[in-house]
Amino acid sequence: MDYLSADKILIVDLAASETTEDELDEDLVSEKIGGAGMTKHLYEQHEDEDPIVIGTGLLTGTLYPATAAGVITAKSPVSGTLCHCPITLKLGVEIKYSGFDYIVLKGVSDKPIYLWVHDGVADIQDAADVWGKDVWETTDAWRKIVGDDLLQTLVIGKSGESGSDYAQVCFNHWSSGDRWGFGKAFGGKNIKGAAFRGMGLLEAAKPEEFVERSLEILKAIKPNDFMGKRGVGDICAALGHEDVTDWLAPIVHRHSACYNTPYPTNTFAYLDDDPKLVTETKVKEPGILITDIFGLIGFKNLGLSAADSCRALKACAKYGIDPTAVAELSPGKSLEDVENAFARLSGSPPIAGKGVFSPWCPTKPLFGDFGLSGGDETANWWERHQALASIFGIHPIFAVMCPQLTEENMLELANIGTDLELDKDTLDEVIDGLCG
Amino acid sequence: MGIRIDALKCTACMACEMACGYHRDDGFAFLSSCIVPYRAKEKTDYFGVLLKEEETLVVARPEGLEINKIGEEQDPEKEADASAKPMLLREACDLCEDVEDHGPLCIQFCPVEAITLEEE
Ligand code: SF4
Ligand code: SF4
Repeated sequence: MDYLSADKILIVDLAASETTEDELDEDLVSEKIGGAGMTKHLYEQHEDEDPIVIGTGLLTGTLYPATAAGVITAKSPVSGTLCHCPITLKLGVEIKYSGFDYIVLKGVSDKPIYLWVHDGVADIQDAADVWGKDVWETTDAWRKIVGDDLLQTLVIGKSGESGSDYAQVCFNHWSSGDRWGFGKAFGGKNIKGAAFRGMGLLEAAKPEEFVERSLEILKAIKPNDFMGKRGVGDICAALGHEDVTDWLAPIVHRHSACYNTPYPTNTFAYLDDDPKLVTETKVKEPGILITDIFGLIGFKNLGLSAADSCRALKACAKYGIDPTAVAELSPGKSLEDVENAFARLSGSPPIAGKGVFSPWCPTKPLFGDFGLSGGDETANWWERHQALASIFGIHPIFAVMCPQLTEENMLELANIGTDLELDKDTLDEVIDGLCG
Repeated sequence: MGIRIDALKCTACMACEMACGYHRDDGFAFLSSCIVPYRAKEKTDYFGVLLKEEETLVVARPEGLEINKIGEEQDPEKEADASAKPMLLREACDLCEDVEDHGPLCIQFCPVEAITLEEE
């Protein structure tokens, strides 16, 4: 596959401690398109060895708006069903530029390892030094080894190592959309995580046309009212939690966006320094990047203050546990109770949707109604939008707020970028295969 | 004419970096961009934008612009980020002079109007 691709699939045989590489076949892209379409196919190919498949979308890492996302596809060790977790922040794009479109982790390693992927090379590394360390310590340790603070990581904490059903794979230092216990799946394979860095180049078949159309679409996005809004507070307000914005405001430092995503979906809260500070703080770990809307709302609903809710989010991110599950299942309502509950949670938090795409992304349109009437129509629209986002590599939250990112223009850009002739029938088939 | 960056508006989305990379390499890459959001200080949430011009390295910090003459010794305490060093080896901003119709691509692709074109 010459275009919009690193043209490589990495197969990691954990039991044998060996890696092999396949080319990404153009015919396969014509059939499965990319992202979750492809990760599901690779999962089925290696199903006997209970694989975890990591991948990026066909448009990930380009100038089409919001092309931040990658995807992790695996069987949830909790529900037993095949499901997908979006990869956001700058990690999805780093995976693609590190030189592999897809990575299959199959079998079980006999000792703790991590995967180090850089510029088209993949190494299995010993993780004995970081086994037992939390998510933050591990990311910091890997960055120190390589001497590069831009290293992007997928990493589990103590929760995943101990096999908790609520264990999350985290991104760098932050909580993710893993509501499936993939952290437990990583831990069960003795994989502490993976680190990515790369400076690849993706060619487009018709680069000028691709950039021209991407720009037209971005220009059409800019007049939306939501472009004047920012961060998790405004998303909470759009979900009917209007009071979150004012409740959180006193500790908000800044808002930031995932790669090329016009709306900043992440909000940094300062807990141990002045949130108004614009110079660099001297405090090493002053706060937390809020990446989980429902985790935040959940802690607020327990009655925690904004600062304590963010402290709970920080503790969850370090431990590598799903904050939404913790907020839902915590037996006590104080910050101390919440933190003490990590190793003792039980029960199943409710999961919205069909259990295939992560309800970490709000399950209804944001900042508008997309002409939907609610009920099944909205539920089906959401599943389809999550499928689309996961195939093309679009930020899943931006996909439910932005009417200008359409199936038609995603397909159009995919065809301009690759010179393939992907059509709606193929897309429908891939989406049906994902949504069931 | 020159590029001006308001680091407090910036959301560190990297669209400008990719737009500039495309201008340099006719493909999608970060290798040659002369505008780069610096984002290595993730745990302190300290970010802004670096721009390499012909004779200066502009560091658009949240607290204000810092303009460093290339070739002069930098105060190591004030070094913006590890990203600053490789920037010095890259080509300087040419305001996308050979891009027809659009003008500076980083400005076009910045979703939050954090970059503007100003008379010097
Ligand atoms: S104006 Fe063009 S060359 Fe200059 S920083 Fe922006 S994209 Fe790069
Ligand atoms: S495009 Fe704009 S918001 Fe994004 S990193 Fe560049 S200056 Fe910041």
